Amino acid sequence: MDRETMMKTMGEATSNVLDTMFYQPVQIRDTNCSLQKWFSRKQLLVGATLSFHGPSAGSFYLLLPATMVTGITSNFLGIEEEEINEEQKKDTVKESLNMIGGHMLSLFDKEGAFKLDIPEFIEESDLTEDKLGDLKGDVIFIETEENRLAVGIQIETGNWKFDT
Amino acid sequence: MAFNVLIVDDSSSMRAIVRKIIKASGFNIGELLEAADGKEAIKVLMDEWVDLVLTDINMPKMNGLELISEMKKDEMLKSIPVVMVTTEGSEKRIQESMELGASGYIKKPFLPEDIKRTLSAIMGEDEDGQRDYDEDDGGSDF
Repeated sequence: MDRETMMKTMGEATSNVLDTMFYQPVQIRDTNCSLQKWFSRKQLLVGATLSFHGPSAGSFYLLLPATMVTGITSNFLGIEEEEINEEQKKDTVKESLNMIGGHMLSLFDKEGAFKLDIPEFIEESDLTEDKLGDLKGDVIFIETEENRLAVGIQIETGNWKFDT
Repeated sequence: MAFNVLIVDDSSSMRAIVRKIIKASGFNIGELLEAADGKEAIKVLMDEWVDLVLTDINMPKMNGLELISEMKKDEMLKSIPVVMVTTEGSEKRIQESMELGASGYIKKPFLPEDIKRTLSAIMGEDEDGQRDYDEDDGGSDF
């Protein structure tokens, strides 16, 4: 798969998941900016990471503003924001990435060669502006009506080559 | 007669969503039970009467495919229909699940209608609780 197709597939998967499960229509932005520039400096971010292995191995990651999580959790679970606890918020972020990663793989991996691990939550303290630079790989930049998100993929090993 | 359903997923949020959809489905549902992985599901199945299992595949301790395999080895559990509700949507995984004995497959992300349609097909009821199959055809004894 070439890089362009991979990024398009990732965008499609992200859009499908956020729209279907979270009622968040999104726009995929065609930009080459850095994660530090994409997110406002004042924003606290949270996220999730999800490893995969198969013909290639690596990980997906999802980054979003902490302030957005309550709202999407409320949409996801169909309960009022006041009723939501921290565990539910973290689980929603992890499950979002689980669905995005799984959906993306299902769009091209007909043979089931890839396997996903269990997603892990990334705390605010691990996503400060300086630490965002540690996140490598290819990123799609997403906008909802009020927020910005990013979904990335880091390939560490394997024969999943794409043009850079 | 009400159906008891077991929802198996390591995501508590996903269990909550599936629970909510089933409750709102209009089907004749008795107890909605939950388990966070296959091992916990087996414990529940040994202790409670369950008419249908909805399970994720990718879970720690015992995944959904291992759960089906274990159920098929047990005389009491092997006839309980199992539906996979999972992000793993490859043809190979679907085939693997069906060969192990899954009765249905729902890919995430899903709409509430996907769950309802599967419930209807498996339980043989429409949303008003009307059966459209002969009880002697099989399934749980109730």
